[in-house]
Amino acid sequence: MKRVSFLAAAFCASQLFAVDFSREVLPILSNKCFVCHGPDGTKKEVLRLDSFEEATRDLDGYKAIDPKALGKSELLIRLHDQEDPMPPRKAEKQLTAAERDILTRWVKEGGRYAKHWAFVPPKKLRPDWTGNAIDALVGRRLKAEGIAFAPEADKATLARRVSLVLTGLPPELLLLQKFLADKKADAYGQLVDALLASPRFGEHQARYWLDAVRYGDTHGLHLDNRRGIFPYRDWVVRAFNRNQPLDEFLTWQLAGDLLPKPTLAQLVATGFVRMNPSTAEGGAIPAEFQAKNNFDRVETLGTALLGMSLTCARCHTHKFDPIPQVEYYRMMAFFNSTAESSMDGNKYEYGPTVKAPADIAAWAKWEALNARHASLAKQPEEKEQAAAVAKEIAVFKKSFKPTLIARDLPKPRQTKLLARGEYNHPQGEPLRPEVFEVMGALPKDAPANRLGLAQWLTARGHPLVSRVLINRVWQRTFGEGLVRTPADFGLQGEQPTHPELLDWLAVDLQDRKWNLKAMLKLMVTSRTFRQSSVRRTKVNDPENRLWARGPSFRLDAEAVRDVALWSSALLDGTMGGEGVKPYQPGGLWKALMHPGSNTKNYIAHKDARQYRRSLYVYWKRTSPHPMMTLFDAPSREISCVKRSRTSTPTQSLALLNETQRVEMGRRLGQRLLREAKDDADRLNRLFTLVASRKPNAAERAACMKLFNKLKQRYAGNAKDTEAYLSIGDSPRDKKLNAAEHAAWAQVAITVLASDVALWVY
Amino acid sequence: MMNDLFRETELMMTRRQLFGRTALGLGTAAMAGLMGRDLLGADIKSGMHHAPKAKRVIYLFMSGGPSHLDLWDYKPKMQAMYGKDLPEEVRDGQRITGMTSRQKTLPVCPTKYKFTKQENNADGVWVSELLPHTATVAKELCVVHTAFTEAINHDPAITYIQSGSQIPGRPSLGAWLSYGLGSMNENLPNYVVMHARTKHAEQSLFGRLWGSGFMSSQHQGVLLRSEGDPVLYLNNPAGVTREDRRAQLDALSALNQSQQERFADPSVLGRIKQHEMAYRMQASVPELMDLSKEPDSTFKLYGNDAKTPGTFAACCLNARRLAERGVRNIQIFHRGWDAHGNLAGEHGNQCKDVDQGSAALIKDLKNRGLLDDTLVVWGGEFGRTPYCQGKLSKQNYGRDHHPRCFSIWMAGGGVKPGITYGRTDDYGYNIADADGNMLKPQPRKDKWTPGTMHIHDLNATILHCLGINHRKLTYRYQGRDFRLTDVHGHVIKDILA
Repeated sequence: MKRVSFLAAAFCASQLFAVDFSREVLPILSNKCFVCHGPDGTKKEVLRLDSFEEATRDLDGYKAIDPKALGKSELLIRLHDQEDPMPPRKAEKQLTAAERDILTRWVKEGGRYAKHWAFVPPKKLRPDWTGNAIDALVGRRLKAEGIAFAPEADKATLARRVSLVLTGLPPELLLLQKFLADKKADAYGQLVDALLASPRFGEHQARYWLDAVRYGDTHGLHLDNRRGIFPYRDWVVRAFNRNQPLDEFLTWQLAGDLLPKPTLAQLVATGFVRMNPSTAEGGAIPAEFQAKNNFDRVETLGTALLGMSLTCARCHTHKFDPIPQVEYYRMMAFFNSTAESSMDGNKYEYGPTVKAPADIAAWAKWEALNARHASLAKQPEEKEQAAAVAKEIAVFKKSFKPTLIARDLPKPRQTKLLARGEYNHPQGEPLRPEVFEVMGALPKDAPANRLGLAQWLTARGHPLVSRVLINRVWQRTFGEGLVRTPADFGLQGEQPTHPELLDWLAVDLQDRKWNLKAMLKLMVTSRTFRQSSVRRTKVNDPENRLWARGPSFRLDAEAVRDVALWSSALLDGTMGGEGVKPYQPGGLWKALMHPGSNTKNYIAHKDARQYRRSLYVYWKRTSPHPMMTLFDAPSREISCVKRSRTSTPTQSLALLNETQRVEMGRRLGQRLLREAKDDADRLNRLFTLVASRKPNAAERAACMKLFNKLKQRYAGNAKDTEAYLSIGDSPRDKKLNAAEHAAWAQVAITVLASDVALWVY
Repeated sequence: MMNDLFRETELMMTRRQLFGRTALGLGTAAMAGLMGRDLLGADIKSGMHHAPKAKRVIYLFMSGGPSHLDLWDYKPKMQAMYGKDLPEEVRDGQRITGMTSRQKTLPVCPTKYKFTKQENNADGVWVSELLPHTATVAKELCVVHTAFTEAINHDPAITYIQSGSQIPGRPSLGAWLSYGLGSMNENLPNYVVMHARTKHAEQSLFGRLWGSGFMSSQHQGVLLRSEGDPVLYLNNPAGVTREDRRAQLDALSALNQSQQERFADPSVLGRIKQHEMAYRMQASVPELMDLSKEPDSTFKLYGNDAKTPGTFAACCLNARRLAERGVRNIQIFHRGWDAHGNLAGEHGNQCKDVDQGSAALIKDLKNRGLLDDTLVVWGGEFGRTPYCQGKLSKQNYGRDHHPRCFSIWMAGGGVKPGITYGRTDDYGYNIADADGNMLKPQPRKDKWTPGTMHIHDLNATILHCLGINHRKLTYRYQGRDFRLTDVHGHVIKDILA
């Protein structure tokens, strides 16, 4: 058995090469030493280890690192001091022998410092390969480990995998058939292009962004009332479908209102700035929530775009990362001048708001009308026509819905450092908006407002944004990120599994003008992605850190539901609009909510809305739909860039008993009975829908055994049959044999609850 | 084959934990929980960081902020001050909520209720006439008069006491316990939350109060409900029998195993186990909820209310039944304690809701020998002001939120029975020393003021009773090893048995 032992490999290498400060030393210093000897070492006399200058400072006759007499370095002495060691014996975190060794060798080798990798702007390697850079860089490492790429997954598996990754749904049957029959070399490329062009693409990709920005349809605190914000969600879906360059995507969200003559879409995008949970609780103090709302924005920016926690620096200088407390508040100054009141008044239109098209079709219509009007207006002879269209636009605008946007006050609010993060303890001079020094400076001529902030974030040379974003694109494509801690690129985070690849992709994203679809295509057409995901007995890499097999992971909550909606042909493809309310067990909201809340009653939609994609399910932040939270969806009260993936008994209950799932099983059973001629064919069809392939012998045996048993049982029990087939609002084809229908319905819901349907593999 | 694969799953889990967490500071308790019975087939070693006194906790949460002044904290001297403005030096710069900050005066409002001194194991404890049943278990209670918090409004305060942070996003106390304690029963959820009925449904509760925050979502509380399925989606749909479900699960298991054979993914076996546990839960939860075998004496003890699902008394009875069945982590939320204007009306009802049930729970646990290793906690997110909000009369009044001191009680596993702890000034406004001088405790990691119990101290003490060192139970997120008690919290040793 080949062992891929990272530690052993690192150890052997370390005997030959100098210690790598950024990769080997800094994580130890950060995790074990910085709590006392780090950036937050405020007392002058405290020995600090967070920079070369500090470590070599003369502390009354001794130095942590003495470059002239390395052997006399206090750090070295204390590391090995039996009487008075560092870390002290009572410290929570002790050094391992290997760590002590690394630090020792590092000091002996000169104790040189380097910037943490993630604060150094990424650079592309000069390519010495042809073809896909991903394969070159993953392959290089595999070769070093003496491992070959896994064979390519079979075509059907690959089609399903790429379709789920890009669109969150299995491939449409026609598309699948075409691909399977297409023997041409670019068949796969064409499949990928078709998926990237599908409107389902934007819906699926938007979900991840909505987690990161904590999108919800309610205010999130106290009464947790309704909030007018869904046009923002629709804008996000459209932006992904239109492949809006990601730099522009970010700029509009951070500062659309500050662009010259902002368009409606640019204003709607600033809903991002307004996404913080808010309150209007009776006794709440406005100044307190002015501060809290802004903490939330700064920290969301940290997690979602900088891939690091800034929360520490709210109360004191960051313990690990070089973020002084004052810089936190300078960053907060970018957001502290927005015009909305600090309390939401429990209002749906928590101003400032604008009115925007009521769903995605309405956006398209509105843009078409505007384009038409613009073109007519240029032609004097079409004056009458132009006026008619203008009138039509005016009428159409009456259907618009309000959405929260950002606006700045004419005169900026004063921002001061808040001692210990307490709103009632402002301290020192008013602060100008400014960015984190360790990540560079505001670009020349950039205004000191949110627009300048956006320019800084999207400037070439920003060390983090492109890395953080592309890491998450990788994560949703491959199941895990190149950096496994996508919310922490700081000193405490994990190192990338493939640093050069991460950097290559981050720069490539910018080279390609922030073109997301191009990057996704690069990823999904790579050999790395196309590998079979079968575990390799000869490769001991359970977490797939070498990427020596294809991705496999459980689908997210939304896709779990969407796959079933789609396969049962219940999916309503309407895009956007106010959040939809599928079935939900009675009383869930009422049991929690204040009588004054306007979200205490959950009234399920009885029409096609309940079959819309899960992205559109109404998101009440204090109590999201249980079919979402049971399957690891976050509450959206705070930014989430990586969901957990758990397996629980309550999931099992939900998969087999929840009303909509039973209904989807029933409709899928109906579909099988109508669309296929015999039972064998029906089972083939079922598997083709959810697994893009026919069942194997074991699956066939298991399903047919269940089918035959239940068919017999239901044939003898009309009451149970009728009861089971009556679940759910959608109509049922009563011409079908009821016992067969009920049995197929149960086979269908069972297959939909199995890994065959729930996993990407 | 199965065994080997199962073994491999274990090892992988172990490795993952080691790589992902332990080396970086996962508490040994969490490690034991994660590797508990499920993985190693052996019972979890209770006593993670030290020998636990309690194996389980039942937390009776009084949401809205019960009035310490009308229930527990007897202040006879206030009577003489009736209607007079609260002296400025007593308020001492304390924030006033937006609800009373515009009031012209802050008239002192003594309680209208009669207090009686109950014998306990120390100097006795004063209990309000609103809690006649609870008074009868005074010898079991450790009544703390000096709980305090910084938050002055419900949402931040309840989020604070239940998650250690006023801002949403952290795992709840229950999630920390789930993470730390693991499970003793494979047929029931590990962390169970109930919502008791109230006439006065203010204020709101939030999923985050039993949510898992940034932790893996397996640690979120499972609601045990009185409406519909007791556990969400527990019951088979109409027309599906237990035999049908068995057949279905057999097919499901075969499908998953076939998938496992194809992809050699050892995690499949874990999922097969979860489906089986769900199947067992379908039997064990109805058995749990079936009160038909409870003798009449039970309902005499808890009151007839306990026959009505969803009442606080019924929830308490469920809590005892859960405790008997090895569930370690039980919370009951009872709303309606936010008495701004009609305290006499509302607190009367509230106490009627909870008094008999809480007392019965203590007695019942005691009779069954369970109280020794069950920690019971009763309390809300803050107290109420000694000055009146709105109109003051002898018959009725309101009280605003008060964070500087409030009363809670604890009983059972690990806590000294029949004592009181800490004292407040003559207004029940400030925490005071033995001579009645104002203490101004600040929650600081290196300093604790004897006689006080900040909410972090409360949580540290709860964890301590369960064998967990609150400083060692950590979960890494965004590079930081988070704790329930943040960087604060002191175990209040004075109240430990």
